[in-house]
Amino acid sequence: MSRKLGTLVLALGILVGAMGLKTVLTAKTKGTVLMANNPAPFPTIKQKPKP
Amino acid sequence: MPGSVANFLWCLGTLFELCFVVCSLVRKSFGRYFFLNLYFILSVLASAARFVTLTSFGSDSDQYNYTYFYTDALLTLGLFVALISLYSHVFGELGFSKQIRFGAVLLLLGTAAFSYGVVQQSEGRLATKFAYELSQNLYFVGLVLTYILWGAVLKLREARTRLVQFILALGLYFSAYAASYALLNLADKYAVIQYLSQLLACLLPLSLSITMLRHAEDSRIATAPLVAVQR
Repeated sequence: MSRKLGTLVLALGILVGAMGLKTVLTAKTKGTVLMANNPAPFPTIKQKPKP
Repeated sequence: MPGSVANFLWCLGTLFELCFVVCSLVRKSFGRYFFLNLYFILSVLASAARFVTLTSFGSDSDQYNYTYFYTDALLTLGLFVALISLYSHVFGELGFSKQIRFGAVLLLLGTAAFSYGVVQQSEGRLATKFAYELSQNLYFVGLVLTYILWGAVLKLREARTRLVQFILALGLYFSAYAASYALLNLADKYAVIQYLSQLLACLLPLSLSITMLRHAEDSRIATAPLVAVQR
């Protein structure tokens, strides 16, 4: 297997693994969001009024 | 406006980020770890932009929301590039630089395509949702990449102290963030958990700054000898 093909397979594997991990971790969330940068306070999300 | 604890942690985190850049300049390692420095410079600039928007419009305004999510997407992209630069440090000497660049571009394009696929069916504000989704997905890609790099450092018996400690700090940061996210979902009624992610964002630049100050570029750590198994 060439190096290029190996890199392609590895990149796809990482992508599938990462998205799978995300699906598992965010499956039962209560609407909280994960923001992994900077210590700035999270904005207050306005709830839309129900019609 | 957020409470005084949140503001204090914000200021502290920004100071630590500036501290890392200053330490790199003092130890003459700014160029060597350019992308890590760039990430922290971007983070300081993002803090400034967020502070101006927060004080002008308030934390529940659309302006602060947009500034927060767009700068976060930019920062996650910066962190991804910084992580790839650490890959180049570890694998560069083995002649894998070209493959790393190719893999990084593939991963970024793949993540962007996946994020677009998720948000394309939603109505309105497509760009904002895309920025948010891309940021989240890149975070998880970064998490997996850091663990692979951890494994590679162990396997290759990497001995450069700074590099090893940077990778360990990043791994702990990503892992602790995922744990704090799980905690936030399990016990969101405790206010202290809400400050956990802010505290973690302070600890990353602090640990990197300490590493930069304590260890010179040529310092090495002793790797554990192989355990001989008697038959």
